[in-house]
Amino acid sequence: MKPTRVSTRTAVVIVATVALAALPVVGTEFFVNFVVTRTLILGLAASTIVFLSSYVGMVSLAQFLLAGIAGFTIGNCVAESGKGLKLGLDPWLAVLIAIAVTTTVALVLGALGSRATGIYFLMLTLTYAVIGYYVFGQVTSISGFGGITGVNPPGFFDMHPVRLYYAALVVSLAAYLGFRAVRRTPFGLTLEGIRDDPIRMSALGFNVPLHRTLAFGLAGLVAGLAGIVNIWWNGQIDPNSVNISATLDLLIIAVIGGISHLEGAWLGAFVYVVANNYLRSLPLVDRIGITEARFNTVVGVVVLIIVVASPNGLMGLITGATDRVRLATSRTPVPNTTMPTTTPTTNTTPTTNTTEGSR
Amino acid sequence: MKNTTAKRRTAVTALAAFGLTIGAGGLGVVDAARPQSSGGEPIRVGILAECEGAFGGFNEDVVAGVTLAMVNSAGATVNSTTTALDGFSDAVAGGRPIEIVGVGCGDDTADRIIQEVRTLVEQENAEIVIGPLSGDEAIAVANYAGDHPEVTFIDGIAGSQEPTLQVQSENYFRFHGDGAQWNAGLGDRLYNEAGWRTVAVIADDYSFGWTSAAGFIADFCAVGGDVVTRVFPPLGTTDYSSFIQQLPDPDEVDGYFWVVGGTGTQAALEAFVNGKGDLTGDQHAGNLFFNPSLATALGPSIAGAYIGGFAAFPADVTTPAITEYLASADTAFETLVGGTTGGEAAAPSQTLGFGFAYGYYVAGLAMVQGLEEVGGDLSDGHAAYRAALADMTLEAPYGTVTLDENRQGIIDTFVAQLVLDEESGEVVQETVSIIPQVDQTFGGTFGPDTPPPSREDPECVEADLPWSGNAIPVVDGVPQTDGATEGSGAMTEGTEAMSDDTEAMSDDTEAMAEDTEAMSDDTAATTETTSAP
Repeated sequence: MKPTRVSTRTAVVIVATVALAALPVVGTEFFVNFVVTRTLILGLAASTIVFLSSYVGMVSLAQFLLAGIAGFTIGNCVAESGKGLKLGLDPWLAVLIAIAVTTTVALVLGALGSRATGIYFLMLTLTYAVIGYYVFGQVTSISGFGGITGVNPPGFFDMHPVRLYYAALVVSLAAYLGFRAVRRTPFGLTLEGIRDDPIRMSALGFNVPLHRTLAFGLAGLVAGLAGIVNIWWNGQIDPNSVNISATLDLLIIAVIGGISHLEGAWLGAFVYVVANNYLRSLPLVDRIGITEARFNTVVGVVVLIIVVASPNGLMGLITGATDRVRLATSRTPVPNTTMPTTTPTTNTTPTTNTTEGSR
Repeated sequence: MKNTTAKRRTAVTALAAFGLTIGAGGLGVVDAARPQSSGGEPIRVGILAECEGAFGGFNEDVVAGVTLAMVNSAGATVNSTTTALDGFSDAVAGGRPIEIVGVGCGDDTADRIIQEVRTLVEQENAEIVIGPLSGDEAIAVANYAGDHPEVTFIDGIAGSQEPTLQVQSENYFRFHGDGAQWNAGLGDRLYNEAGWRTVAVIADDYSFGWTSAAGFIADFCAVGGDVVTRVFPPLGTTDYSSFIQQLPDPDEVDGYFWVVGGTGTQAALEAFVNGKGDLTGDQHAGNLFFNPSLATALGPSIAGAYIGGFAAFPADVTTPAITEYLASADTAFETLVGGTTGGEAAAPSQTLGFGFAYGYYVAGLAMVQGLEEVGGDLSDGHAAYRAALADMTLEAPYGTVTLDENRQGIIDTFVAQLVLDEESGEVVQETVSIIPQVDQTFGGTFGPDTPPPSREDPECVEADLPWSGNAIPVVDGVPQTDGATEGSGAMTEGTEAMSDDTEAMSDDTEAMAEDTEAMSDDTAATTETTSAP
């Protein structure tokens, strides 16, 4: 790996960060405080799906639940009236508790699912999500179906949506860089080994369930951070925030962006949020029956088109296009890395790392 | 390979970054201008409706409510006589045109409604928001209102207690009752007329279920009754047998009070029949979820059961104001398709005669009346406007509404009964009394410092209720105001005026009778398939 390549990529990340950092200066209040902040939060949560999927080969539907657990923990700790435990704790202490609770739950759930693979792991995490929804809905001492409302962020963020935007940006950037950094560590390399051939890794003496558990715990921690920023931003949380629909929305975001690209999580979230907010404002779309009530239909069609056109999501389309441009300009053959080989499975074939190129 | 990878990532990240930035600039144009609150400028109004979830079918109903309010009080004309979703034109209040900047699409969850209200307020720059419809939504919106003092909120038809009594945002107004208020007078009736002394309560386990049950419990206990059991099945329960087993047997208790909504109403009653024996009307009562259609599935023995009230009175009650209101709906629109009509085109008075649309109608009416009073002046953070709203006496079709110090409506509500119509052999709903001037506190049972309704609260305690003994009997749909005390609102005035207008009304009333008859059936069918406000 040549240093120039690394620095170029880093430079682009810096440019992206600077652009987003300057956004409050040029963008409108609503666009910054609502659209992009929500994009960053959803992207952060979706990035944990991408991390688990592309690094460890685990497609998880429990990530929004983990975000929700952090949110409910904050709500119970901070709120002084209304529903829940009403502990009235310091908001920053609540953050520590929320991170601890969420990570612990993630490690426990991860340990329970550490021996399940493929579709069975997916089903197991779906079960977690459903159980979580009903626990928060029916255990009224911690929430109930009405949820917890009137949750204020720490004073530093209260009534300062731009600061919250920057918090979402900083946490997103940290998660993005952190996930990338993990890949270069022995832990990350082991995870990729487990993704490609768990049996061989086990034979080599690696503790596969432990590594899967730790990866799930790490993803849970990051999802928890998304949940914390989300409840600060939203001011409330209820079981429907983590229901099946929300869970699937997060998976859809990951699929739209490209489930094997970390960057795709935020891109998918951006498309999702923009479609959700601006589709209804387009002229004449209501004449063809597209109103806010049809949003799910529209998103469904978008997902269908993307899956058919590019199994690697928007990021796959973009990388495919840049490859073709480069091919045309350099006339040098470039391997097509947008083939649908990216969603790692736990196949036992001792393949090389075919997914690396598309991340 | 790695070379390619790195370059590709570079390109991708750059594209994403620039996409976001360009998006920011481009979209910035959309919502750049914020209108001024000065004379002549349109007043920007947002509506929080429901286009998904349990109330998704009522989207048009509630928009029709606001639209008719604009037609009747702000001189608007509808853009389409067959749908309310096309909006209206030429509405003017206090010298300023009224512009609907958006209709939020809720799904009866707090999470979604927050996204929608943020879009209306922060993107569309709504100055006044009408809505929401559902209880949990209202708690969230009232909290949101507290953080957005620049906007005035007028509740649609949400029935939870907290938005006004506990949250108490200065800019959140509610011109209708909460779920507890709607059940006022029912406990009194069951204690004194039906002779109940002990009751078992079974209610949905969420804010509206708790609030609705709380109203009954407060009322029943105030006059000396005792609640022996409270059972709370979760929302979405399909098999109620285990909850039925937790109820006392029919010979151990005088009666059962049901607050189970949606498809659960019938399922729970059927489970009761299987677990405890036949339903008898004299031993069962319910909130607004109880309706004549239950007899279709459960048999006419349910006749005799008492039912709590809702925002709009049952179709059998007629006063000049109600008749005029329903006639105005039929004049403004030819037909409407909504949740109340079961998705079929039907007489608009059918839609507007049901509580959902009526709640939004009243909100629209209040909004316009307030604007008229201050000449459209929303300056100084809506200070004058909010003062006008708070002090308003709103002459609404189903009763005069004033607000208490928490900006919550003091309303007239009703008690109805399922009765067997001897001619048709069918079970129909009949209004038995109107309870005037019901306030949210139930004579002090509820207050800002009392716990909001829950599984355990309120406790069963005797109390003096302001409306105790003031119920106005209703005979053949006509409120009998002779024995009523002062302050019984529009019912009193309306009925006095009625004798003069009776002849002129007769034609309209006959026409109405046909509509309303159809309405009671359809309304019942609709209520059965929905949950609670």
